[in-house]
Amino acid sequence: MFKWRHHSAAAPKLAESEAPPLAPVAPAEPARHDELMRRWISFAAMQQRVIRTLVSEIQQASAVVETEADNLSGRFRRLAICAEQQTARVDDLSKLAIGIEVDGEVVPIDRIAGLLEETLSDVVEKILLLSKDAMQMVYALSELNSNVDKVDSCMEELSKINRTTNMLALNARIEAERAGRAGAAFRVVAGEVRELSGATARLSTDMETELKAVTDGIANGHETLKRVATIDMSQNLLAKDRLEVLMSALIRRSASLASVVGDAMKEAEVISADVSAMVTGIQFQDRTRQRLEHVVDTLHVVDEALDELKETTMESLPPAAEGQELDTEWVKKLLDRFTLGDLRARFVAQILDGEQPAEAMPADGESANSGTVELF
Amino acid sequence: MQLQVDRGAGQISMSGEFTFTDHGPFKQMVAELFATTGRSVILDLSKLDFIDSAGLGMLLLARDEAKKNDRELILRRPSGQVKRMFGVTKFSTLFTIED
Repeated sequence: MFKWRHHSAAAPKLAESEAPPLAPVAPAEPARHDELMRRWISFAAMQQRVIRTLVSEIQQASAVVETEADNLSGRFRRLAICAEQQTARVDDLSKLAIGIEVDGEVVPIDRIAGLLEETLSDVVEKILLLSKDAMQMVYALSELNSNVDKVDSCMEELSKINRTTNMLALNARIEAERAGRAGAAFRVVAGEVRELSGATARLSTDMETELKAVTDGIANGHETLKRVATIDMSQNLLAKDRLEVLMSALIRRSASLASVVGDAMKEAEVISADVSAMVTGIQFQDRTRQRLEHVVDTLHVVDEALDELKETTMESLPPAAEGQELDTEWVKKLLDRFTLGDLRARFVAQILDGEQPAEAMPADGESANSGTVELF
Repeated sequence: MQLQVDRGAGQISMSGEFTFTDHGPFKQMVAELFATTGRSVILDLSKLDFIDSAGLGMLLLARDEAKKNDRELILRRPSGQVKRMFGVTKFSTLFTIED
């Protein structure tokens, strides 16, 4: 990619034809130069192992993060749905707290209390009116009874007069008999008076009978009214008082409930908004993955460049008598800085022991939940 | 119910329980007071313990009678159940009630 080989291949040609002659080198210098180059190659090889190990770690970490982010995103989406449903339920609850649904219309509690108060006031008014009318009837019947008593007294007087009249007629008849023929006319008058007295007596008896019927009717009416008027409605009247107290308590409770549900509604909305924001936030993990891919890609390029440069350098060197040892000292110092045991083990295996990095990505379901977290 | 009449002050003091059975004496006493001179007729209810719906009806009839005679009927110092009954029936809108 970086054409290291091309440039280094051109170098000998320049040395042979156009390049100025190199300054004389002491016999020891080429050997030292070769040694340094071999050390560089060894260092580059270690760098490549480090780069490949880092690439492997980044890919694995990215895969783990992506899996976890997907899991978290899924859970937050479910949480968001639950939060929305919860908000809807709280909204329904707030409607229930405000009033009662009647024929598809929500009637507020205070309106119900008002209707009840109107109805009860009407009932109370009617009870009062009935009580007043009943007592007025009682008063009227008492007056009527008093009048009947007076009529009864008059009837008594009438009977007395009639008895006297009858006695007078009888006496007149006796006197007429005594008078003989001279008293004939007087006898007729006495007879007529007696007839009149008898008719009056019969009429008086009829009137007494009728009057008794009226008196009995009044007495019955009075008794009936008494039964009606003595039904004590005071408890029914006081029921209004108790119902008003109950409705007041209901209104207060409804108001408290509405207040609590209102607070719950606000909190539910905050939760919904937070959960939505978290879902959105997790979706930015894609951007992190892309950044890591760029990092990995860059490291690949550096690795390839090192490969090319190593090969070019090795071509320019005479074959080594013995295999070059890897420069592991700085790597060991680096590994000593690691605090995560499993990470250190992988670096030792891949960098010092030369094992190939694991290519396999973590299996689905393998996540931070299934592994262990090494604490510092 | 017991009634005490103070004709000079135009006042009837009622005590005990005011129910249907008291209609005769009550009507008579009220009629007697309305026959006297003076603007107001006062019913002192401070010792009245109980009133039923018939009693309330009789008070309303007494009020009508007062109006006919151009007199004012004052209900004075109701308490306990009597006061509650007056509250429920909104008697304060019909009578002058003095505490």
